[in-house]
Amino acid sequence: MKLKDPLPDMQKRSFLKKVLNGTIAGSLYLVYPMNSSGFEWPEQIPGVRDAYDIHARKFAFIVDITRCIGCGSCCVADKQEYNVPDGNYRTWVERYVKGFSDQIYVDCPNGGLDGYQTPRSDIKEEIRDTFFVPKLCNMCKEAPCVQVCPVGATFTTPDGFVLVDEKRCVGCAYCIQACPYSVRFMHPRTRVVEKCTWCYHRIRKGLLPACVDVCPTGARKFGSLQDETSEVYKILKGPGVLTVLRKEMGTWPALYYKGARMEVI
Amino acid sequence: MGFSYKMRLILVCLGIFVMAWVGFLFKSLLLPDSFGLYGHFRADAITEAVEVPVRHGTNSSCFKCHPFEAKIHKAGLHSTISCEFCHGPYADHVAVDKKTGTLPVKTGKQITTLCLRCHNTQIMARSEEVIKTVAMPDHLRNQQVKLTHDCNQCHHVHAPLKYINRAKQITGLMEKG
Repeated sequence: MKLKDPLPDMQKRSFLKKVLNGTIAGSLYLVYPMNSSGFEWPEQIPGVRDAYDIHARKFAFIVDITRCIGCGSCCVADKQEYNVPDGNYRTWVERYVKGFSDQIYVDCPNGGLDGYQTPRSDIKEEIRDTFFVPKLCNMCKEAPCVQVCPVGATFTTPDGFVLVDEKRCVGCAYCIQACPYSVRFMHPRTRVVEKCTWCYHRIRKGLLPACVDVCPTGARKFGSLQDETSEVYKILKGPGVLTVLRKEMGTWPALYYKGARMEVI
Repeated sequence: MGFSYKMRLILVCLGIFVMAWVGFLFKSLLLPDSFGLYGHFRADAITEAVEVPVRHGTNSSCFKCHPFEAKIHKAGLHSTISCEFCHGPYADHVAVDKKTGTLPVKTGKQITTLCLRCHNTQIMARSEEVIKTVAMPDHLRNQQVKLTHDCNQCHHVHAPLKYINRAKQITGLMEKG
């Protein structure tokens, strides 16, 4: 007697399995709309994703010193976003301590990456005032670094950002000397100059700069000057006192400080 | 020189013409494309700056797949804290909707260190309006717990007053709602 060939049955079973799998997978696709670009985060800067006119856009950055608690979130986020090599900082947080003799003590252990866990123990006099000052690129309108670059590798974009062309930079480091705010450094591996870009790649995708996004107290604010509902626009239009660093140098920074004492440089 | 005046004039003009052409040729060979479109720089560098990959997500990018944590985190006093500050960047965890790696979770004394980055009273530059600070180990002594306690033994790290408020409700120290 010839046994029944098991093959057709098996085939039927595997066929049914495949059909079922396909149906379930297909229905899941309908339920979960997969985004093709991997990008469905909310637009944090309104209107950037629709149409970006590079000549019409203007942005401003405001650091509110009265709200900074020196946690170092911004420094951590910055290091993570760009894999900044150890010992170099695109942004950092300085601690200012003012004594009653008007002596200023500034320190910045590891750029604020590890936060500030202990108070300064080396100050003998009574302390009058303590505050944190986050530092980053000032995005000067009249940028000294752009003026000194011999190969046109550092430039100001029409929307007001000072960026570095990595392919064109020859690593002469003139700009590092020219920058009054010391925000530039030589990347130890690529030997080209790097600096804070206010996360230009994020802004153009409608996201806030990494440091602004992670700031838990809202000490760092960023926004478009075309958007009249943005916090930055309202602060700039309002009566509050805003200062820039090293105004006397005539660099016209787009980074403003709120609540900065006169000792901050 | 056996050239006539006219011929010399033609030669000079021709020379200028040739030299100008050689100059333009070298300029076009040496200058990169798109140089000078917006100014004295390569305009394509702006495009390259835009194409830098985003490594840091936003809190909503994390909440998309972690609704349980999202619910607790959003309801608590720590709602403004970025997930990625403690856990690491989004790009180390997810790439094109696929999980690519596991992010670390802080434990034990690491948590206490992390909490005191912000909540340490000894660093005086922290105003009452912005953040509530505690002095260690006075806080542990005042709350009558062991000095070896970590912060997360009383405080939920995502919503610090979650357990405390619940305990107060149960013991009747606080009205519900």
